[in-house]
Amino acid sequence: MKKAVVYINQFFGQIGGEDKADFAPVFKKEKIGPALEFAKNLNAEIIGTVICGDNYMGSNADKAVDEIIELLEGKEFDIFLAGPAFQAGRYGVACGTICKAIKAKYNIPVITSMNVENPGVEMFKKDMYILKGGNIASKMRADVAAMIKLANKILNNEEIGSAQDEGYFGRGIRRQVWREDLKPASERMIEMLLKKIRGEAFETELPIPEPDRVPIAPPIKDLSKARIAILDTGGIVPVDNPDKIQSASATRWGRYNIENIDSLKSGVYKTIHAGFDPAAADADPNVVVPIDVLKTLNKEGVYGSLHPYFYTTVGTGTTQAEAMRMANEMIPYLKEDNVDGVIMVST
Amino acid sequence: MKLEIGNFYVKDIVFGSALSYDKGLLTINKDEALDFIRQDERITEAQLYIAKPGDKIRLCPVKEAIEPRIRLNGKGSFPGYTSNLDKAGEGISYALKNCSVLVVGRHWGGFQDGLIDMSGEGQKYTLFGSLNNIVLVADTDEVFEQREQQKKNDALRRAGHRLAEFIAQCVKNLTPEDREVFELEAVIKRNPEIEKLPSVVYVMQPQSQMEEIGYNDLVYGWDMNRMLPTFMHPNEVLDGALVSGSFMPVSSKWSTYDFQNCPNIKALYKEHGKTINFLGVIMSNLNVALEQKERAALFVAQIAKTLGAEAAIVAEEGYGNPDADFIACCVALEDAGIKTVGVTNECTGRDGQSQPLVTLDVKCDAIVSCGNVSELIELPPMETVLGELESLGRDGLSGGWADDEILGPSVRKDGSIIMENNSMFCGDMVCGWSPKTMKEF
Repeated sequence: MKKAVVYINQFFGQIGGEDKADFAPVFKKEKIGPALEFAKNLNAEIIGTVICGDNYMGSNADKAVDEIIELLEGKEFDIFLAGPAFQAGRYGVACGTICKAIKAKYNIPVITSMNVENPGVEMFKKDMYILKGGNIASKMRADVAAMIKLANKILNNEEIGSAQDEGYFGRGIRRQVWREDLKPASERMIEMLLKKIRGEAFETELPIPEPDRVPIAPPIKDLSKARIAILDTGGIVPVDNPDKIQSASATRWGRYNIENIDSLKSGVYKTIHAGFDPAAADADPNVVVPIDVLKTLNKEGVYGSLHPYFYTTVGTGTTQAEAMRMANEMIPYLKEDNVDGVIMVST
Repeated sequence: MKLEIGNFYVKDIVFGSALSYDKGLLTINKDEALDFIRQDERITEAQLYIAKPGDKIRLCPVKEAIEPRIRLNGKGSFPGYTSNLDKAGEGISYALKNCSVLVVGRHWGGFQDGLIDMSGEGQKYTLFGSLNNIVLVADTDEVFEQREQQKKNDALRRAGHRLAEFIAQCVKNLTPEDREVFELEAVIKRNPEIEKLPSVVYVMQPQSQMEEIGYNDLVYGWDMNRMLPTFMHPNEVLDGALVSGSFMPVSSKWSTYDFQNCPNIKALYKEHGKTINFLGVIMSNLNVALEQKERAALFVAQIAKTLGAEAAIVAEEGYGNPDADFIACCVALEDAGIKTVGVTNECTGRDGQSQPLVTLDVKCDAIVSCGNVSELIELPPMETVLGELESLGRDGLSGGWADDEILGPSVRKDGSIIMENNSMFCGDMVCGWSPKTMKEF
């Protein structure tokens, strides 16, 4: 019989509520909370339950992941199930974080479940099967049943159907399939046309996402008085990469003080971006973040003043949702310092 | 305009002493047919084979497919191409159904050529895997393009069309098993009951992106790169006015067989007078420069609007760059207030994660999707190969490769293959056959 591990938070692990959200991860051999529900129909033996506080995972993700992987050391399992997390944001992000790490470490299938409103969906849907779950814990049985159904298909080596058929969030993978009824394109075309003509609901076979365009900002009226900041997605960081920004698919960013330097020196700064040849940027980091030129132009009075930090993340593979979140985290610093305009450098 | 097609349903094909058709059995005198093919002095080598569904046959490089047809008035089936310019779309033609003439290169393939399997797992990837095929395998003296990735395949494609006409002679004096009648009244002289129905145009974008003459689809023998959109009767398309070209990655191709039998047109005909008023075909094309694409879209929207179309279907023969023509055309029609449905294939990459079309627009809210050109397909060896399988990897076929550091060569020593759907002959069937769709995983 194949084996499974279930991950749940402090609340469903019966440790406690919000006051226990800092609970460090433990591995228990018993089936606890949702694990009991999973055990009813899962075609695998649940060898234990990992319980971790949502805040513990939220504020020390790397540490929490390392500790959980240590707890699982020497244990054999074929599938990893996390949640369901419903609409609980921190729980959803925790499930996504640990599932992604387990998948990377063991290359085994991972499954979780979240409500569409859970921020974990946007962050992790491309990395794993996230089943479309209910918004509150009273949907537990249905959500667990949906996870079991998909898990059993995977455990039995059955073909996994489309996101729509199986009820998971699409992972951005589009593949051709033969329709069961083999209905030819010509008939589908007529059906869609008649529905569209009649104003009836129809379903396109190629959904086109709404473009999310940011309007171009009005020009700065007087550059000589303006306060300017510089940001980049080219991965320029101090050589020790203090914020541990990832080289691709970044979820982290950093800001670095440049008040007392005239240039980004090679050997002090470098790029950690994995999407381009780093030779030129490592030899002269100013080619990505031109602090040297900005300082000179400032002395010449071309613009008013320079914000004392530059901001860095990595653009390659980074999702739009993550980029937006990081921008929203940076903006308060810029606003607080009355920055009038920013220069956004890529690679 | 009234077109009548008398159908003869081919159940089996054999070689024999005389070209004849009898109760579903098509007999071909091989030598006589080959002599006819060799009248074109460019043909240096020619052989005929029969490939039926279930046969353990793989064909590659396949260049063209044609349904055998004969016009009862004695004129050619492809006016302006195999015969003098003349009208298409009216009168009586006879057709051999469930049957096609396939043209296969004896040695050399190219970007625009493809593969067909007649049995096994690969059979489902093309329509022609389910037809009774007369296969012409030939080579030519067109050495100037032998090692070119882009080939006009002129001698071979013409040989295929001529052979299709030649074979269809055998039913000229017989009585068809059934008849299809295609008739559309003049646009402004229709029955008031029909005029009450929503009026629909079918916009076709055949492949015409090669600036040099000789590669593109033809309309009455005219290279479609050199035309602006015009209004045509659907019968013209069904009756040999359109001849397929030799340019696109072949899963996107509409062969001449596909034009002659265009399921999208037949589906619109079927609804005519019941749920819609089918006005006709706006024949557009596919272009290279942005201004050309926009100009064609302007013409299409204008013609549709002037005709009073309330709804339109747009179908493209290609992907990638032509997606810009397709989207521009759908958007222009929507902007003119015409409710539009698009039919296309997608290119989402081997991992399925790429943007499906080169350009997208939210106004295109109704699309029928027929397949992914870059889907990887792995198939076991086949007992018999007609043509030269090596061409798949050697000659720059759009879905094949000589070698790949992860996947290895397209054509393996044991005859098994790994390829992209791109090289499945007319595999995406955007003309309407496609039983495939696209789903998100």
